[in-house]
Amino acid sequence: MIAILLDGLAFGLQLSMLAVGLTLIYGLGGVLNLAHGQFAVAGGIVGALLIGRGAGVAVGIVAALGVAALLAAIVDVSLMRPVYRLTGERRVLLSLLVTLGIAFVIEGYLFANHAAVSFNLSVPGPVVRILGVGMRRNALVAAAIAIVTLGVLIVFLRTTRLGRAIRSIIQDEDGARLVGIDPGRVRSLVFVLSGLLAGLFAVAEAFNSSVGPDRARLFTILALIVTVVGGLGSVSGALVAGLLLGVTYVTAQFLVGSFLTYVILLLAAVVIILVRPSGLLGRAH
Amino acid sequence: MARTAPGEGPARTLALHPARAGVARAYAPVLVIAILLAGVPLAVGDNRFYMTLAINGLTFAAYAVAFNLLFGATNQLFLCLGALAGVSAYGSSILGNEFGWPLALTIPIGVLAAAGLGGLFSWVAVRRRLDVIFIGIVTLAFTLMFTNMLQGFSALTGGETGLRIDAGEGTFLRSSVAFYALMVVVVCGFLTVYRLLERSHHGWAFRALTDDQLAAELAGVDVARYRITAGVIAGAMLGLTGALYAAHEGFVSPRTFDFGDVDVRTLVMLAFGGIGTMTGPVVGAAAVTVIDLFLRPLGQLRLLVYGVLLIGLFLGFRRGLVPAVTGAVSRLVAGRARAG
Amino acid sequence: MLEVRALDVAHGDTQVVHGVDLDVAAGEAVAIIGSNGAGKTTTLKAICGWLPARAGTVRFDGRTVTGTPTQTLKRAGMAYVPAERHLFPTMSVTENLQLGAYPAKPARAQRDVVFELFPRLADRGTQLAGTMSGGEQQMLAVGRALMSRPRLLMLDEPTTGLAPILAEEAYRALARLREDGEITVVVAEQQVPLVFGFADRAYVLEDGRVQLEGPCDALADDPAVRRAYLGIDR
Repeated sequence: MIAILLDGLAFGLQLSMLAVGLTLIYGLGGVLNLAHGQFAVAGGIVGALLIGRGAGVAVGIVAALGVAALLAAIVDVSLMRPVYRLTGERRVLLSLLVTLGIAFVIEGYLFANHAAVSFNLSVPGPVVRILGVGMRRNALVAAAIAIVTLGVLIVFLRTTRLGRAIRSIIQDEDGARLVGIDPGRVRSLVFVLSGLLAGLFAVAEAFNSSVGPDRARLFTILALIVTVVGGLGSVSGALVAGLLLGVTYVTAQFLVGSFLTYVILLLAAVVIILVRPSGLLGRAH
Repeated sequence: MARTAPGEGPARTLALHPARAGVARAYAPVLVIAILLAGVPLAVGDNRFYMTLAINGLTFAAYAVAFNLLFGATNQLFLCLGALAGVSAYGSSILGNEFGWPLALTIPIGVLAAAGLGGLFSWVAVRRRLDVIFIGIVTLAFTLMFTNMLQGFSALTGGETGLRIDAGEGTFLRSSVAFYALMVVVVCGFLTVYRLLERSHHGWAFRALTDDQLAAELAGVDVARYRITAGVIAGAMLGLTGALYAAHEGFVSPRTFDFGDVDVRTLVMLAFGGIGTMTGPVVGAAAVTVIDLFLRPLGQLRLLVYGVLLIGLFLGFRRGLVPAVTGAVSRLVAGRARAG
Repeated sequence: MLEVRALDVAHGDTQVVHGVDLDVAAGEAVAIIGSNGAGKTTTLKAICGWLPARAGTVRFDGRTVTGTPTQTLKRAGMAYVPAERHLFPTMSVTENLQLGAYPAKPARAQRDVVFELFPRLADRGTQLAGTMSGGEQQMLAVGRALMSRPRLLMLDEPTTGLAPILAEEAYRALARLREDGEITVVVAEQQVPLVFGFADRAYVLEDGRVQLEGPCDALADDPAVRRAYLGIDR
């Protein structure tokens, strides 16, 4: 029982890490990025290629983070500009379609050129016992990355001036302008931050299992679902939803076969969305 | 509050009791499309390669018409086109294989299942007042559920390798020319249904729904009912297409109904031909099918080209490429005429 | 300090403000009065870059700032408090005030100034802005604007929805604020007697045009103003 809970929390932390980037961009820019998982995978593949060519693991990790963040930055300053010109539902819709296109561009490129490449990292060593449960070292490293990332992110959002500015835009963009915040500038920064978070997820996932082109779509959909279940634009919602769905997933995996696990996860998500369209911690609109 | 374009309101009311000339004009495009499509086998002869391509194009035209009814006419972004077609195709195939039921029984069951699901999604969306984004996400989750279920129940579905279909063996469904003809009838039937809905007083609702839900409601349009109607009909269209295509191929696999291969491709087609226009889906399907022919050597890079098309079309031509081009041409011609 | 010339502003196709001229000297308190829909709010919003001006110029500190975004003007020293306030509802009073100083580090001294002005805010540091009463929210909105030590403070209907006692208190606080520093205030107000007790000069706006202007004492003697806005001499 404890084993399931620990595994579930570890997986959930990773889901949260994947989703906070998405929820932040939505909160700030009204944009749902369907290429989020693809950013993560693209970063991971570059990392894997570098390591494959003899670069150090640290170089590979930094490259993975850098590439994911860079992709986000490029998309923000280029293709997102016409999207930001629209407002409300039109903006979200166009962002969905455009980022879906971006996702396919990235996926198509990766499948065509690096279909068999995958980003794998590992720390050797025996199983570690926590609360009497044996945990793989790699899974622990992945969980640690997620915990540190989320912890730093929360402290950043709570205590720094820029973090407060980010939260203020999510709450009331007009209010943010009144106090002298330039929402466009902060939005671009957050887009890059979300790319960085995608890269961090790729690194954690590379420890946990592996990151290849075939997983990009799953990452995006998981991020999307956690984001929506938590409440679009709510960071704490993404945390809670990630943990909840993580535990659900691992429990389902324990009870039924592996493919049906996703079915149960998705059903749980759909039920939550239908019961509370604004998400667990989202504000009703 | 109700935003009717000048002259649109009265014109729509008239459409309830259309004059004969109006009927002819309204349905003439369907006839033209039917004739053009009928000409394809004559042009390509008995070339198997081109017939396969043409059948594939028609199948997608059918998907696109259904999607147009959902997204173009009632602003419901269903991201489960492949899954709905797949539910019907797999459902009818499994019933046929397991119980030996004939296609005449299993296909209607598949169609009913897809129609029911389509209606269910619309009903849920309307009841829970989900906006276009949430419909997209819920239906996308359904797509993922469907593909995972194909893997999970591999004893029934054949998992990744796919499923051979016994029913339909030796019938006209397996002949490419005959099946092509059937699909021409199906596509033209779908187009007729689309136009019928557009011209009934639902049509007024369709127009209003895409613009402004509140305005439509204030004008006394029962938004909920039209959305659900569209969901049921489009579901049925997708189900019929999927089941027929499976019966023709004699084989289904997860790839046949893959999200990227069906949903995204259909989206590209619709964006190409023009969202919310009657002939747009068919024109888009034809265009993308031909483009595909040239993309074939690219292999996986095709995905990339779809992505570029999706971005370019939605950023550049919100109303569709074909309407934009024809609009530009007619403006040019009009300008010339005025100048001359 | 502020110089507005021939300002035209439109909502869509409907022009709301027609050729408005305003002059505000440093240290002055100027009221803009007029009935509902006279264009007071629209004028303020166009000055602070919230709405685009169709024509005309706005000069702030001698520089032309027409069309400069609100956030840029705020950083340059022009703070605007709209009637809708736009506080951050699920953030605490303290956080709202901290954000007021953005992008600078919130200065303790300035926060003390705000607390001295509105003592009620001092003991509510951790309360969420959205759970406060209307009057307290108004204080917080003004307090937030003051955190960046603006040279020009523009207030839109600061007393809307406030009980008469609180409204008077608000203007007393603003008057104290003027005694302490060199702040310039522009306030749009419907409660004319109240604002006349506070401001030096006033502009009377009707149908988007300046009908009258002058020192408040002089305007208070004007028969038209008395009839329309002070409810005397029926």
